[in-house]
Amino acid sequence: MSAAGPSQAMYFKERAGAQVRNPVLQRALQKAKPLFVGKRAKGIAALADDDLEFEGLRTACEGIRNRVLADLDVWLAIFEDNARASGAEVLWARNGEEICERVIEVARRHGVTKATKSKSMLSEEAGLNEALAAAGIRPVETDLGEYIVQLAGEAPSHIIAPAVHKTIEEVEALFAKEHGRPAETRTSADIPAMTREAREVLRQHFLSAEMGITGANFLIAESGTAALVTNEGNGRMVTTLPKVHVVITGIEKIVPTLEDFATLMRLLPRSATGQTISNYVSLLTGTKQPGDSDGPEKTVFILVDNGRANLLGSAYQDMLRCIRCGACMNHCPVYFSLGGHAYGWVYPGPMGSVLTPLYTGIENALDLPHATTGCNQCGSVCPVRIPLPKLMHRLREEQNERGLRPRSERLALAAWAWLAGKPRLYRWATRRAARYLNWLAEGSGRIRIFGLAPEWTAGRDLPVASGKTFYELYAARKRA
Amino acid sequence: MRLALYVTCLVDLMRPSVGFASLRLLEAAGCEVVVPEGQTCCGQPAWSAGNRPLAADLAKKAIAELEDYDHVVIPSGSCAEHVRNVYPQLFAEDVEWGPRARALASRTHELTAFLVDVLGFAAPPAEFAGRVTYHDSCKGLRGLGIKRQPRQLLGQVSGLRLEEMPDSEECCGFGGAFAVKFGDISTQIVDRKCASIASVGADAVVGGNLGCLLNIEGRLRRRGDETTRVLHIAEVLAGEGER
Repeated sequence: MSAAGPSQAMYFKERAGAQVRNPVLQRALQKAKPLFVGKRAKGIAALADDDLEFEGLRTACEGIRNRVLADLDVWLAIFEDNARASGAEVLWARNGEEICERVIEVARRHGVTKATKSKSMLSEEAGLNEALAAAGIRPVETDLGEYIVQLAGEAPSHIIAPAVHKTIEEVEALFAKEHGRPAETRTSADIPAMTREAREVLRQHFLSAEMGITGANFLIAESGTAALVTNEGNGRMVTTLPKVHVVITGIEKIVPTLEDFATLMRLLPRSATGQTISNYVSLLTGTKQPGDSDGPEKTVFILVDNGRANLLGSAYQDMLRCIRCGACMNHCPVYFSLGGHAYGWVYPGPMGSVLTPLYTGIENALDLPHATTGCNQCGSVCPVRIPLPKLMHRLREEQNERGLRPRSERLALAAWAWLAGKPRLYRWATRRAARYLNWLAEGSGRIRIFGLAPEWTAGRDLPVASGKTFYELYAARKRA
Repeated sequence: MRLALYVTCLVDLMRPSVGFASLRLLEAAGCEVVVPEGQTCCGQPAWSAGNRPLAADLAKKAIAELEDYDHVVIPSGSCAEHVRNVYPQLFAEDVEWGPRARALASRTHELTAFLVDVLGFAAPPAEFAGRVTYHDSCKGLRGLGIKRQPRQLLGQVSGLRLEEMPDSEECCGFGGAFAVKFGDISTQIVDRKCASIASVGADAVVGGNLGCLLNIEGRLRRRGDETTRVLHIAEVLAGEGER
């Protein structure tokens, strides 16, 4: 299974149920959640050490992203000019298919048989690994988490921690098989050794690959630069050792200046992992120049639309501010009950529940905008203040406007609203309902199986009162 | 001060005692309290489902019933958040209903916010012998900024020891229709809440939103916890938590 297949987002509910009942996955998730939440909280609290303040910085970051989106075409043209001036080639891709075509064409031009990759969610949108393999080019993921999921034949389940769903036992089994050695019993103390093992395997790939493929966290317009924010150092290997470097990014990833980039960097690592700054920050401009000690001979930018331009000027434009930090999913009660695979496409969690319908068709991901408790834990941590619950709500409205909701739901809602508009009838009906609930509870104060809401009583009792409504009791009290 | 108590559809049907406790608290604070006759539901379920026309119909009905009072008090962070934050959005462009929605929104309060911020700590003396932990419901907390008010009020209850649970601001997994549409995900979320509650060994978990409380109580009981009480803050403040 891989992300390259068609979206499975229509099967969210079924897939979610399976994930909730998967004890191995649940163990992995319960371990990860406090780490993500705790580290971010620490990182944000530490802003005070630098005399910075979260809300003020958020406003600044939101402003930078909004400024770009207001004139995206202009900033893209500036970026393109500056990137070309520094020796890079700039290509454009409308969709995933065109991404694959462009990359394969560049690869053929340079006789590439192997490509090392640093994390790129856009390559997941495109199903690039499958396309490369089909074209006879071997893609090797070099981010440790991506390496693990590639060995497992899976898609990443988190945008910054692709293998968060895997336990150490599962990783050990994969490594033993791939690296041709017997499996051992592992504990978290063995993680450095396991990482070293992967690093040694990957080193051979870094040295032999002719092409490196990365995404970019930002594209800096004033200098034509790609900014890469990484922790493992693999990004440096991928961008300096192969003779060709291909950068695949969405058109919305532009920021105007290096200064703006510095501002966004105040919040990006803190929101993602709680770090004040990531282990590596690379600013990659153009190709290797005379006198440079390293760098690619050829740099190619592929700037991708794949649904993004449609959001400009729409009710969903705010979503394009996203800087892919993962804080929304790290704080999402739904994400941490399921992991990322249940979401069915590239992006999980709240940002996925907005992006998947927008990029793959609202009618192809009907459950996702409903799979929210409305808690707004995501919106309250987003470093660029994307109102995620509001965007999910707008998608639910659009489903209604386009007649995409099931008839039974529409009728039930209409009947209830009609009744709620007729107070006297409503009082009569609620009196009957209170009696009925009390009868079902058989005097125990709770209902264990409730046919009208079976999903509720599948997991919990329904506590009920004495069989009389407030209004009934209130009227009696007034008469007394 | 003449105020309207909006009891909410859930309290009306599922736990009338919360309505009476709210009534008692407000009257004890010296308010003239009216329970408007025609009230049914604020329309939040329609809004959440994405049905704007139905949500607007019910909002208009509520606005007409409630706009003539000095204040409207609601013993639910979620319904109060709907009136305060969503009603003005629903009629943002409407020249007739827009101003009426905004005016009502500015005079509508969640119960504990009203007691503390408008009346200034006016809760009658109450007793509760035991250890209590408070669950911050999402809409009240993140939608209306309600955090210190319930704690200040609980701090005035004699005998009550407030013990903060880990992650008190985490969602309980209720989410209205969410709990019915995605029951197993919701159960998974509320399980974490139940574990938090258990970790502080509280005699009672208290909250300001009946939906969350029904969810938490239902799950606690299903897990076999028959002793931890689940109470609305109005019940505790009105002295109904004692038994």
